[in-house]
Amino acid sequence: MKIMQMAFMIVAVMFFFVLVGLFFLGIWVGDIQGGAASLQRDKAISSLRVIADMPELNYDSSESMTLDEDKLRIMTGDFSAAYEVFWPVASVKVYLVYPAFDEVKKCPGFNCNYYEIYDSGQSNVKEYSSYVSICKNMKELGGEPRCEIGKLVVGVKIHEEQ
Amino acid sequence: MKKGQFNFAWLFAIIVGGAILFLAIFGAMNTGDTQVYGSNTEIGKSISIITDPLQAGFSEGSFGQIAFRQETKIRNICFTGGFGKNDIAVATETGMNGEWGDFGGATSVYNKYIFSSEKNTGKDYYVFSKPFDFPYKVSDLIFLTSENYCFMDAPDEIADEVLSFGMPNVGVSEYDISIGKNVGCDFPEAVNVCFGQGSDCDISVYGSCLSKCDSVYDEGIVVKKGEDMNYVGSLMYAAIFSDENIYECNVERLMYRAGKIGEMFVEKADLMDARGCNTNLKGDLFVWSGLVGNATTEDLMNLRPLGDTLERRNDMELCGLW
Repeated sequence: MKIMQMAFMIVAVMFFFVLVGLFFLGIWVGDIQGGAASLQRDKAISSLRVIADMPELNYDSSESMTLDEDKLRIMTGDFSAAYEVFWPVASVKVYLVYPAFDEVKKCPGFNCNYYEIYDSGQSNVKEYSSYVSICKNMKELGGEPRCEIGKLVVGVKIHEEQ
Repeated sequence: MKKGQFNFAWLFAIIVGGAILFLAIFGAMNTGDTQVYGSNTEIGKSISIITDPLQAGFSEGSFGQIAFRQETKIRNICFTGGFGKNDIAVATETGMNGEWGDFGGATSVYNKYIFSSEKNTGKDYYVFSKPFDFPYKVSDLIFLTSENYCFMDAPDEIADEVLSFGMPNVGVSEYDISIGKNVGCDFPEAVNVCFGQGSDCDISVYGSCLSKCDSVYDEGIVVKKGEDMNYVGSLMYAAIFSDENIYECNVERLMYRAGKIGEMFVEKADLMDARGCNTNLKGDLFVWSGLVGNATTEDLMNLRPLGDTLERRNDMELCGLW
């Protein structure tokens, strides 16, 4: 009888420690997931400037947050295939925000307003954005740029539970 | 129960109790190791993020400091092949007796060029960034170091530039004839970087630019640990602050990217021609991107005159490709 009591007691104590262990493991794993999500968010926000200033998209290396319309067109084509692994984020898109539009029209195309530079195809992507200038050199302006207002949108993969 | 005799209950309790204690201690140690691994991985990832705002961007350069609470090792492994990558991993000191935890999971950085030693140890790390143009902007170079550097008899333009960033780990010293030795660097321990011939040099920089240069040090050779590293422009700092294999690897990555950007300018030339913003650079850029895309450090000095010509011609054009 005493052996049985002791066996049950030991099993109960073990069960208790397992539960306590699972409790702390849950907190720790949650903390890691939160840390990873927070790092991803920080990365996306800091990536906005990094991506806008990349020579592959930037209009003039002496000006920050200014994109080159010609480069955007090139990067929407086959050329961007070489850059698949290069992007530090899950997606990179650029919208023309003025004049305002009702329908998104993918560039290149007539009256288009949306450049899809890169899309990893991941689901659960959270997007962060920043306003940018989109410029191109014009002969009529003596080689000076004509600029429009745009919005650079980068996406980061978020955890399933969020 | 007779004296000195264990009954089954005691034996059972001791064996199972021992097993529980063993499992608990084993589990705690494993969890601790995993926690250190997780924390080191997080630090590695953080370093790649922290260096984002430290990139020079459109400025001449920028400087930042990363301070850790304990001694930290940063491992930088460079991979070539296409855009290549830098794998950054971190290990921290875990105990009071100088024990090191395992390196955390490596964070792969594809869009940055981190120049450092392969293994760095320290509590305070200094990050310094300079843009690299060849002849158009290719990327920002990031220099990561925990050591002190003393630039001995550096030419004025380099001394002024280094001092303007206010980097606490880099000093400039000049030879004082009256006392017969170099003065200006107050570090107890520092890597001595000599410009030209000198004594007590850990690293020597020999400039070899003779025509169309702002300084003789616009191109040349950095000699470190008996190895020669060719450089042009801001790659001089890259050669000073990094190991030879990291330098060679990152330069190959940079050249590949320079080639890709050159290809992009060829396509941009077509788009500009279509709206009357003509350019005569297309043919030469096509050749340039082919040459530079597969270049190594050995080719840098031969390519530079061609790059300078492209830059001058681009500056003279009405629209300009970059």
